Amino acid sequence: MGRSLRDRLGGPWRVAVTEGSMVPAILPGDWLVMSPLATRWPRRGAVVVFREPLAGSLAIKRVAARGGDRVPYAGGFLVLDTEEAWLLSDADEKASASVGSGPPVDSQRYGPVEADALVGHVLFRYWPPSRMGRIPPGPHHEGLPA
Amino acid sequence: MLLTNAVLRFLSPKAVVRAHCDLPCGVYDPEQARIEAESCYKIVEKYAANEDTAYRTRAIHIKEERADLVKHHLDVLWHDYFKPEHLEKVPNLHDLFWQANKQVSKVKASTDLADAKRLLELIDEVDAAWKVTGGAEKTRVAGRPG
Repeated sequence: MGRSLRDRLGGPWRVAVTEGSMVPAILPGDWLVMSPLATRWPRRGAVVVFREPLAGSLAIKRVAARGGDRVPYAGGFLVLDTEEAWLLSDADEKASASVGSGPPVDSQRYGPVEADALVGHVLFRYWPPSRMGRIPPGPHHEGLPA
Repeated sequence: MLLTNAVLRFLSPKAVVRAHCDLPCGVYDPEQARIEAESCYKIVEKYAANEDTAYRTRAIHIKEERADLVKHHLDVLWHDYFKPEHLEKVPNLHDLFWQANKQVSKVKASTDLADAKRLLELIDEVDAAWKVTGGAEKTRVAGRPG
């Protein structure tokens, strides 16, 4: 069940990141502006904030695949439903450990995520001032890891 | 540029993205899954021995909770402890976890002691896989009473 437009207009429009699953594109301590108006998963490569399945906590990952896409998984593949997205971290275990975070937990762990879990589409970073601007693209734009 | 506390508070976002797990503590032991599975086994035993409806309702409810914990502990072992190189020593690793998880679902729905026993057997196999891959030495704090 998605939130109404009125609810979504209330935000959140900004989010602070305290973990390292999106390193080096996004670092812990970054403050991001996002649009909470999106009700569908944005295009591949977009960074999104959403409610993690099971845990329900706010998480940030990149859209690696959307409805209709085939995702390589465990030697085979799965086909995503219309409302589903495959969300992946930019960082591998080593990269996230370098900023003090645990191994990233993403769709490879909890599977596809439904669109009603989407909270916002990240637009740009506004803090720290030295790195203000767009979020750089991630490592998966060429194709998904098998 | 000097920013006052008030300005920083205004700028800082309300919403915060945190990691699912901030630190890989590196402690893994199938004993956690085993204990919860033993609880399920005992609950099935006690369910059979007590015909009071209120007791049985509570038993089913508590079995569901403990069974979910079995799944969680198995999940953590599968995703965070076991690595690709372990497949050489345990070629049926993925199938074993698949079977074990399916058995947990069975135990949730079942009042048959044989199902609960089978789950314990599968967890014993997971324990053997953990031991043969050096789990006991590498992932527990030394000096623990053996």
